[in-house]
Amino acid sequence: MRANVWSGRNTVQVENVPDPKILNENDAIVRITSTAICGSDLHLYDGYVPTMKRGDILGHEFMGEVVEKGPGVRNLEVGDRVVVPFPIACGNCWSCKHELYSVCENTNPNSGLAEKLFGHATAGIFGYSHLTGGYAGGQAEYARVPYADVNQIKIEDDLPDEKVLFLSDILPTGWFGADLCDIEGGEVIAVFGAGPVGQLAMASALMMGAERVIAIDGYEYRLAMARNKAGATDVIDFSVDPDIVEQLKELTGGRGPDAVIDAVGMEASHGHGALHAIDRVKQANRMESDRGHALRDAILSCRPGGIVSVIGVYGGLMDKFPTGALMNKGLQLRAGQAHVQRYMKLLYEHIKNGDIDPSFVITHRLGLDQAPDGFETFKHKQDDCVKVVLNP
Amino acid sequence: MKMPRPIDSTLHGVTDYTVGTALLTFLPKRVDIDGTPAGSQIRAAGAIHAGYSTLTDYPLGVVKAIPFKAHLALDAVGALALAATPFVIGQWKKGLKQWVPHVALATFELSLLAITDPSGKGDFHGDVEAVRRANSENPQRKIYEGPLAVRPGSATERAAAA
Amino acid sequence: MSNKAALTIACPRAELERLWRESGYLDGVAASVRFADAPGDRGTEIHVTLERGAPGGKLGEALMKLTGREPLAKVKDDLRRFKQEVETGVIARSDSVPEGELAERKLKQRPAHPLDPSEPDKAAV
Repeated sequence: MRANVWSGRNTVQVENVPDPKILNENDAIVRITSTAICGSDLHLYDGYVPTMKRGDILGHEFMGEVVEKGPGVRNLEVGDRVVVPFPIACGNCWSCKHELYSVCENTNPNSGLAEKLFGHATAGIFGYSHLTGGYAGGQAEYARVPYADVNQIKIEDDLPDEKVLFLSDILPTGWFGADLCDIEGGEVIAVFGAGPVGQLAMASALMMGAERVIAIDGYEYRLAMARNKAGATDVIDFSVDPDIVEQLKELTGGRGPDAVIDAVGMEASHGHGALHAIDRVKQANRMESDRGHALRDAILSCRPGGIVSVIGVYGGLMDKFPTGALMNKGLQLRAGQAHVQRYMKLLYEHIKNGDIDPSFVITHRLGLDQAPDGFETFKHKQDDCVKVVLNP
Repeated sequence: MKMPRPIDSTLHGVTDYTVGTALLTFLPKRVDIDGTPAGSQIRAAGAIHAGYSTLTDYPLGVVKAIPFKAHLALDAVGALALAATPFVIGQWKKGLKQWVPHVALATFELSLLAITDPSGKGDFHGDVEAVRRANSENPQRKIYEGPLAVRPGSATERAAAA
Repeated sequence: MSNKAALTIACPRAELERLWRESGYLDGVAASVRFADAPGDRGTEIHVTLERGAPGGKLGEALMKLTGREPLAKVKDDLRRFKQEVETGVIARSDSVPEGELAERKLKQRPAHPLDPSEPDKAAV
C-alpha cells in the first residue's frame, strides 16, 4: 500500500510499504477514506521528537471502513464505517476504567523507553515515534487498529467524512482543553494559538457557555477564521503588538481571563526579545527541548485563582518556568493528551444535532501522494493553510 | 546548478549567537591564543558580531533595526576584515596560531553566507502552486465566507435537557 | 543499580496469585515475588526483588543495560507482559515491536510500518 513515511528532518515521502496484518485477536484492519495532517506532526517533521526512525508511517487522525477483523473483536463487523481515536486504549486497566484513556497502562510496547523520559509510560499513539509504541500511523491506505472494540466510534448515518473525521483528535482535544477550564457560564476564556485545535477549543468554550473568547495568534488569516467561524469575540495579533499579557489585561478590564488554554505547545513562535532568542538558540543546539513562551504568558496573564489548561504538545523540559506566578496567584495547571474515547459519543451527538461543524477548519484537501507538499505548505503557513485533509 | 540556500533567517540567527558566544568565551583558550592580541581580536569579533545581531531585524533580534540583508553584508565585511587583520598588522609572522583561527573563522562565515537565503525564508521546499492546483477546497472561501460554525451555549442546553 | 521492580494489576489478589503461578513468568530467575493488596479499587501489587546483582561489576552492569540484557529490565518486561495478558488477554504489539515489549529491542527497533510477508511470522494469531 501507499503510505506517507518519515524520512529525516523536514522530509516525508509517500512510498510503497506492506499492508497491515492482524497481529492480535482483537485487532481490526481499516481501509482509510480520510486522514489529516496534525500540528503535532510538525514536531516530528521538524525533528524535535526523539526516537523517529526512517520508514515510520505518520498520521494519527483517520477514519474509514473495517475490512478485516480478528476473532476476538465483538463490537465491529466488516463494512462498518468508523473513526479511530489517536490514543490507543485497552479499556480494562485502572486508567481506562477511570476514563483516563490517553494514559492507558497496557498499550505501549516501548514502555521502557517512555519511562526513562517521563517517569511512566503512557498510552500508545498511532504514528507518533517509538516513544509512544512505534505504531504505524494513518496517513496511508490501510491501518491496523489494536483493541478494536474500544478504539473506534461507528458512524451510522451518511454524514460526509469531513464532518466526523475530527472526532479522531482535534475536536475532542479542543473540547478537552475547554472542559478543563470548568466553564459554568459567563467566563472570559483566552486561547493561545489559532490553529485547528485552538479554533475548536474556542468553539467548544462557546458551546459550554463562555461569554467571551479571545483568540491569540500571529497570523491574520487564522484570526479571521477564529472570528468568522469559531466564534471568537476578540482577537490579539501579536505580530502587531507582542505584549500579549498587557493586551489581555486591557481586554478584561484589568482582571485577566478566567481561564487560559495553551493550544500552542513546544514550538511557540511568538516570543520576542532576548528570552525568545535564547530559547531558539538553545532549542536549536538541543540544550532545551521545549520553547515555552505560550505557557509562560498563559501563566502570567491568567487571573489569580484561575485555570491554565494545556493541550499544546510538549516533549521535554523548558527553561524559566514562572513557578512564582503559578503558586502565588493560586492557579490550577491542568494538562493532558485528550482522553478522546471519553468524548467521542457526546461530540458525535453535537455534530449530528448541528451544534458544531468541525469541517470549518479544513482549508486544503489533497490526495495522499501530495502529502510532502502538504506538510511544507502547512508548516510554513502558505496559501492561508489551516488544516490539510488527505484522501488516499 | 543553482546554489541551495537552506539557511533561513532564524537558523542564521542561531549560528550568530552560538558562534558569537563561543568566540567571546571559550574559543580563544581552546586554540591557545588567550592573552595574545590574536585572542583579543577573536573576542572582539565575537562581541561585535553578537552585538549587531541583537540589533538585526530578524526573528532573533532584540531591537529590530538593521535589515537582514545589511546584516549579511556586515557578516561578509567582518569576515574579510578578520581574515585580513593578522596579515595587515604583521602578526602572522609570529606563528600559525596567530592567523589560522582568523582565516578559519572567516572561511566558516563566508560558507555560511553562501548557503543563507537573503530573503530569510530558507529551506521551504514545498510546491505551493501544485498544492493550489490540487486543492479541492477554497481556503479564502472557508475563512471569509459563510456563517458561524458553532452554536454558542449549545452544550449547556443539552446538559440541561438531559 | 536497583534490584527491585513493582507493578499493579487490576485483579483480585487470590486470582492473581493463581494466574501468576500458572503463567511461568520468572521461572528460573533468582528473585523473590511478593503480592500485596493495592489501596481502593486498584487491584493487587506485585513486588519482585532480584536476589543478587548482575555479574561483572559496574562495567558488566553498564554493558548489560546497553544491550538490554540487564536482569531487572527482563523482569520488568515480564511483569508488563503478565499485566497485559491478565487485563486485556493479549500482549501489546506494534509494527515496530511485533513481539511485544522486549528490553533487547529498545535499541534495534523496526520502522513503524507493517511487516513484509517475507519477514518471519511474528503474529500471535
